[in-house]
Amino acid sequence: MKSETLVTLISEAAHSQKKRTALLFEGREISYAQLDETTSKVAGGLEHLGIKEGDRVAIMLPNIPEFVYAFFGIQKLGAVAVPFNTMYKGREIIHILNDCGARAIITLTNFANLINEVQSEVPSLEHVILTGERTLLFVEPDTTVSVQMVVGKDVFPNADEAFRITGNILLDALKELGVEDAWYNHRGAIRHNGKKIATILVSEIENLLVINSVLFIDDYDTEQFFKVVWVSPEIKDKVLEPMTSIQQITGSKPDMEVFKKAVAESAQKHLGIDLEVGELKRDELFGYQKQRSLSYKL
Amino acid sequence: MADKWRLVYNPEGDAADMIAFPSALVEGRIAGKYMLSSESLPNTLIIQGFKRAGIIAGADVNIDKEAAKKQDLDVAKSARSGRGAPKSVGSMSLSDMMAKGSRKFKPKDVDPDKPAVLLYTSGTTGKPKGVILSHRNFITQAVEISDHYFKMDHKDTVIGVLPLFHVYGLANGLIPSMYFGCRLSLVPQYSPHHLLSNIEAVKATVLIAVPSMYMHLIQLARMRKSKIPKTMRISVSGGAPMPLKTLQEFEEVFETQISEGYGLTETTSAVCLNQSGKAYKEGSIGPPAPVIEMKVVDDDGKDLPNGEVGEIIITGKVVTQGYWNMPEETAETIKDGWLHTGDLGYRDEDGFFFITDRKKDLIIRGGFNISPREVEELIYTHPKVQDVAVIGVPDKREREVVKAFVVKKEGEELSERDVLDFCVQNLAPYKVPKAIEFRESLPKNATGKILRKELRAGFVDDRLINKEDTKEAAE
Repeated sequence: MKSETLVTLISEAAHSQKKRTALLFEGREISYAQLDETTSKVAGGLEHLGIKEGDRVAIMLPNIPEFVYAFFGIQKLGAVAVPFNTMYKGREIIHILNDCGARAIITLTNFANLINEVQSEVPSLEHVILTGERTLLFVEPDTTVSVQMVVGKDVFPNADEAFRITGNILLDALKELGVEDAWYNHRGAIRHNGKKIATILVSEIENLLVINSVLFIDDYDTEQFFKVVWVSPEIKDKVLEPMTSIQQITGSKPDMEVFKKAVAESAQKHLGIDLEVGELKRDELFGYQKQRSLSYKL
Repeated sequence: MADKWRLVYNPEGDAADMIAFPSALVEGRIAGKYMLSSESLPNTLIIQGFKRAGIIAGADVNIDKEAAKKQDLDVAKSARSGRGAPKSVGSMSLSDMMAKGSRKFKPKDVDPDKPAVLLYTSGTTGKPKGVILSHRNFITQAVEISDHYFKMDHKDTVIGVLPLFHVYGLANGLIPSMYFGCRLSLVPQYSPHHLLSNIEAVKATVLIAVPSMYMHLIQLARMRKSKIPKTMRISVSGGAPMPLKTLQEFEEVFETQISEGYGLTETTSAVCLNQSGKAYKEGSIGPPAPVIEMKVVDDDGKDLPNGEVGEIIITGKVVTQGYWNMPEETAETIKDGWLHTGDLGYRDEDGFFFITDRKKDLIIRGGFNISPREVEELIYTHPKVQDVAVIGVPDKREREVVKAFVVKKEGEELSERDVLDFCVQNLAPYKVPKAIEFRESLPKNATGKILRKELRAGFVDDRLINKEDTKEAAE
């Protein structure tokens, strides 16, 4: 008896194919039996979150095994899968999630930022489930600068405040540098005329918060990167979010010293702290060197 | 007294520093918690500039390191993070969620006509609509269409390079592959080179792709000469029409046969197939599959005889029940069980269908219908033209006129005048474009179909987020 629904499709296939390979991915083989177990766990995990038959669960994933796990996991539960284009941004995502009333989304870790930013506009969205490590970030001299924080959780009353205060630090610094009408969109980005000028991501580990932000002082020269990361010509302008930069808005860009001063002063004001330039301690220095050599070796 | 924080200032950093600084600080503080360290580590702000260009890539991203070296780009990869890695606040990991589920989960008992998937598709105008596809829609596509033509089984290895979020990759790639016990090779990031080596590495027997991919593969194969994988017994193309030249060359080089499919999201992908080597006619979309009925009708819904152009309508078990939460649009599109495709075309005496245009793309000028596709096909034959799209735009007196967007071939000189002269020589005067605009590229969807909507004036870029769009602004 062959399956009449996508609900039972994988268990039926596993019944007849057993340990035969279902998925091939970057040298790995995943059997039908394994796929059956994994999709069952996804279904059970979603059910544990309160997702029921008929509920919509969005998927924003490229062609990786987790897409298949998510898709058939949702099917086993009798929920409705809403897979959508991984190149969507901003209002495109808001429209889809609101229209279908998605209660959960399964997406890539590196899209956390995109989803964080729209979540407050999507009241139905209760669960953000992240997978994969496919971050891809470009840095370029005189174009990108990064502002990071590693702080105790006690610095901020909650994660929302961590986002908000970081947003205000960057906004004021940008204002000091001549960018007047930028605004901070909660949990997401600093924007100017709809386009991104800085991103903010807050992560947690044990009793610490790690805050990563990147600001654009000038426009990317993307050609160099697209020679390394192949992207077909017609989608090039869709791969990156629409971005702007201090240079584009004000007609000039600050040098690093000026930038540092603006950010440091804004941080002191908003956090009520004294900042003192310092070096890494001995143990930190070991960790730093170890990480550096590891990241170039991988 | 204000808290003292440390400022780590690194004006001449590089890609690896972006990973190394925060992880060293985190490691230091977490380790410090368990050691009786004499000095506690302070809260730290790191400000960094970059002295070298670089890429910071997650553990799962494949980077062409040779190419990076040539471009003098650093590639810094972050280590695969274990359970204890920092996680984005307000989210959970898929593996943590799965840990709450059991591998013994019993699949629910679901009615085959219930919605299984919503796929959002952009129409000619307006916001994307959610097409409701049921279990039965997908199973019919797999069993009565895919399998009817191709007979797939566990000996097949299918290339999954088309995005699975698109109806074509989902309904003709993933679902039939799993249903018939094939091996599905997932290719997450398309590049012609990556695709060709994947076909070779897994000894693919089935390739499901779009015309531009077939073109890229041929270009690569021409350069390689030797070692062309010849394992593919089935090649399927869809999403956009494929030039006959490409089809023939691909078949010859890869020793395979290409079937060209036609379908819509609303029909769970393919409803007819133009099968090279079997039932094939150039420029046709083929005859409908046995479980599908297709007709050509006029504006009043009356059947048209062979050879006459009208709207193509479709019925069968692959047709959607409608658009999510859009009863009006649903009623406009599905009448008495027949899906009105908005595609214009005709049927020949052998039952083969031919598409001439999208109904909504037709340009009406002085009572004449102008087919943008006809104008496109003409301009496309110009030797210096790489790509072209034609739309109707309003002139000063709000009458519709023809406008062409042209992409030149690399390194070629081509003026507006050249294109116009070429059109004047080959087209009726009323069809000649009134405006030509040169572009670097044309907006296309995931399967290579030109998004005419994005070429029209007043197109709103929905990727942007403006302050007035957000709730905070509304309050």
